[in-house]
Amino acid sequence: MMKHKSDLQCRTFALYSLTAFLLVFLLTPSFSTAESLDDQVNEISFQLMCPVCQGQSVAESNSNLAHDMRQIIRKKLQEGESREEIIQYFVDSYGESILASPPAKGVNWLLWILPAVAIVFGVVAAGMFLHKSGSGRSEVESKESEASGPESDYMKRIDEELKKQDS
Amino acid sequence: MNILNAGGRLAVLAIIIIILIILGYALFGKREVVKTSPLVGKEAPDFTLKQFDGEEIRLSDLRGKTVLVNFWASWCMPCRQEASALEDAWEKYKDDNVVFIGVNVWDEQSSALTYMDKYGGKYPHGVDPEEEIQVEYGIGGVPETYFISPSGVIIDKFNGPLTERIIDFYLQKTMNPESESS
Repeated sequence: MMKHKSDLQCRTFALYSLTAFLLVFLLTPSFSTAESLDDQVNEISFQLMCPVCQGQSVAESNSNLAHDMRQIIRKKLQEGESREEIIQYFVDSYGESILASPPAKGVNWLLWILPAVAIVFGVVAAGMFLHKSGSGRSEVESKESEASGPESDYMKRIDEELKKQDS
Repeated sequence: MNILNAGGRLAVLAIIIIILIILGYALFGKREVVKTSPLVGKEAPDFTLKQFDGEEIRLSDLRGKTVLVNFWASWCMPCRQEASALEDAWEKYKDDNVVFIGVNVWDEQSSALTYMDKYGGKYPHGVDPEEEIQVEYGIGGVPETYFISPSGVIIDKFNGPLTERIIDFYLQKTMNPESESS
């Protein structure tokens, strides 16, 4: 009974730890560590989708347009423009659909928040299910042990009788 | 097995209803009008084009005129398809304070010159030596055409091969932008 309770606590702790880890992983912004010009060009290129390609970023595409875009990013970085200014330049020309990640504004914020909400709800539901099923099982086990009381006495008596006959 | 009490069930129901309301708003709520380009309605980005004859043409010098800017390439089949319509339309509108500009992109100069010999080159054509104009104008492919009002505002953009009827429609709209908006 005690072992089962601690087992349940362990599982609940593991679930909550996993949730906390996932939330931290999902919500922590990725920090830029790009240093060289090439790295910076690559970093910005990965945040822009190639307008003429299927699901490829500007960094991944070999199209003429993506090549031009990378050249412009490089030139603007050399001229001292910030990452935000460069991205805004492309948004002004192509619209927000060029962004690899939709901006968290308007209805778009649902895309950012719903996965986290779904994970939290999933874990809470799983926790509640485990808690209920665990307490249900312990009730069944205690009933079983109660029921098995006279039976075990009976078996003990049979063992004793058998031992007597052997001796 | 019942894992929720009455209060819990009510809370889950309330959350589901809230999510459904938000999703309903996202699907059927007020939406922005989809434009052919985010540049429509804004001032046209200025550019200087180097023409194939060596002359330069600057958009800001054409203020006061209606401007059609057509992006094309010699390898582009729809560009060939629309070339005669553009030439005919230019003949029709050249005395109405309308300027046509052809911008050759993603191309070899020799191929572009051969193309112009074959499909016409009555109005100015050229390239951007910096190769930035196509990105500045949000070009995804060719042919794409911008219509710029005499005040320098982009009135509309058309993606794909033009016909004379399409050119007429957009030029009328661009030459009289006020009547269009009222």
